[in-house]
Amino acid sequence: MIQFKALLLKELKEAFRDKRALMVALSMGVLLPVMIMVMSKVMINEAVDNPAIYVKFSGEEYAPKLIKAFKDENILSFKDVPEDEKRNWNERNIDFIIPDTFAQDMSDGKPIEIILRAEYGEKSLASPLRRIRDVVSDYSRSIGFKRLLVRGIDVKLLQPVNLQEQDTSLPTSNALMISLVLGMYLMMGAFMSGLSISIDSSAGERERNVLEMLLCQPVSTVKIVLAKLFCSSIIAIISITLMLTLTSFSMNFVDLAKIGATFNIDIMTTLTLMLLLIPICFLASSLQLFFAFQAKTFKEAQSTVTMLIMLPSFVPMAMMMMDDKPAWTEWMPISGQSLLMEDIFKGLPVDWMVLLVTSGATLALTAGLVFTLAKKLTSEKVVMSLS
Amino acid sequence: MIEVNNLHKSFKSKKDTVKALDGLSFQAKDGEITGILGPNGAGKTTCLRTLYGLLSADEGFATIDGIHVTKNPLAARARLGIFPDKFGLYERLTAYEQIDYFASLHGLTGTAKKQAIENVLTDLDMRELAHRKTAGFSQGQRMKVTLAQALVHQPQNFVLDEPTRGLDVMSTRVLRNYLSKFKEKGHCILFSSHVMQEVAALCDRVIIVANGKLAAQGTPQELCDLAGETQLEEAFVKLIGSDEGVAA
Repeated sequence: MIQFKALLLKELKEAFRDKRALMVALSMGVLLPVMIMVMSKVMINEAVDNPAIYVKFSGEEYAPKLIKAFKDENILSFKDVPEDEKRNWNERNIDFIIPDTFAQDMSDGKPIEIILRAEYGEKSLASPLRRIRDVVSDYSRSIGFKRLLVRGIDVKLLQPVNLQEQDTSLPTSNALMISLVLGMYLMMGAFMSGLSISIDSSAGERERNVLEMLLCQPVSTVKIVLAKLFCSSIIAIISITLMLTLTSFSMNFVDLAKIGATFNIDIMTTLTLMLLLIPICFLASSLQLFFAFQAKTFKEAQSTVTMLIMLPSFVPMAMMMMDDKPAWTEWMPISGQSLLMEDIFKGLPVDWMVLLVTSGATLALTAGLVFTLAKKLTSEKVVMSLS
Repeated sequence: MIEVNNLHKSFKSKKDTVKALDGLSFQAKDGEITGILGPNGAGKTTCLRTLYGLLSADEGFATIDGIHVTKNPLAARARLGIFPDKFGLYERLTAYEQIDYFASLHGLTGTAKKQAIENVLTDLDMRELAHRKTAGFSQGQRMKVTLAQALVHQPQNFVLDEPTRGLDVMSTRVLRNYLSKFKEKGHCILFSSHVMQEVAALCDRVIIVANGKLAAQGTPQELCDLAGETQLEEAFVKLIGSDEGVAA
């Protein structure tokens, strides 16, 4: 115990004095809340407010009432676009073509073909196009209803079934986006925050010729590896704590409900997320140490270990893509946590059994890596590559 | 007391096999400074690494105070102070913190640890350095820190692998004086070097290793007599049978 305490204390001292590595670790924690807040603000603006839309009308003189209906919804003519937004709207290029027979066809009761032409794949156009469609269909329906009314027909006859949509779980696409980014970032934070500390305490020590001295001491290699593991895990845990606290604080300034998010980052959620991510911190550190110890130089370690970044970014992504998830993905390290996080962000209750199993699996894998690494450190191959 | 018995060690690679140790045996007794001399590649570092328990011998064994190194490496290392071939320092720690770290690794705590650190700092005359971070230390200062961390637990046996490399006269003298004092207290010191005058001046017994085998052993005088030379350097060249490695 004396030895382990001394080993851990020394690792922590070195880590906290390595200002650059520490800054990298903690900057992730500070950046996330800022990013999430800005993102939500932008999305809420888009979803809730009715920013002006500028449409290139042709034949607007044929349908003044329709144009007025547009104007009421802040959908304006391209002629009136302010100078600073001109380029943007010119590029978006929404064409709206009203035929010259509009007034005549209207009074004759004939169907009128109006053309809305734009690049439908463009994401920034999704909301403007939806609004234009809504205005046209409202306008069309209101005229239709009036026609029936003057003929003495109850318009309710047109709605034999009325669908009432009540959304219980799925947040809207915007909220889904935020939760996806949040989940990915948290996973990334847990995975990458301890990275530089891990490399420095393994490959760095080998390069500085202090590893041989340490291996010659009457200390078991398990203790050495554990001390290094705890040190970089502690740094990662500090980083995600910072991340979660600041995020939950900054989310107070954003009303996520406006965009249909069903989750809230309150204390309970924060604690659950911490519980979920701490095993990930340990697993990440053990993986980093495992690969960094095998590298001959600091630089080699850096390039090998950085490849680990694929794990926290690809696994959750694959989980998103998979429609039929096999049962094992629930308890596998990383995929299990990312599925649980998805549930939390959907506002679903946490399945504690799954959490327990996936945490157990993660820690078991960590222990396996630690013991394999400790065994490797006693091997001659490692000793021979010391010099 | 350090005993090495019939050590064999070869390193195999795909292309060829290098025999680093070929039945090396010797003893380093308590209260004596034993020097290991040998040309580059003679197997000195391999032998010492086997002593630390980092490498395991193909055949034969090494004991430290009767403890079998391969069977019980942790207990054996506890009785050993090591000044390794390549020594680095933890540059973000102060000299005091490093010595404290190694003292704790050897199980020292509380006032006993404090006292041990104070003693070694006084002995090596390095109080002024103690609370400075070791980044930017000179070679001599680094040597002192490494020496202090190897000796803070007052090991019965002390192994040094070419300790005087890159040291100036003053630092070499500090080291020599300290080793002499340490010897007088009855400790066993094993010392590998290339510098003949140093070995001649310091060592009670000299072991000459060549091609992984013991080439000769005895006091410096005995070795000179054996080879019929007056200088240890000449005797060394004669005994290993070539002048390879002497220039190093």
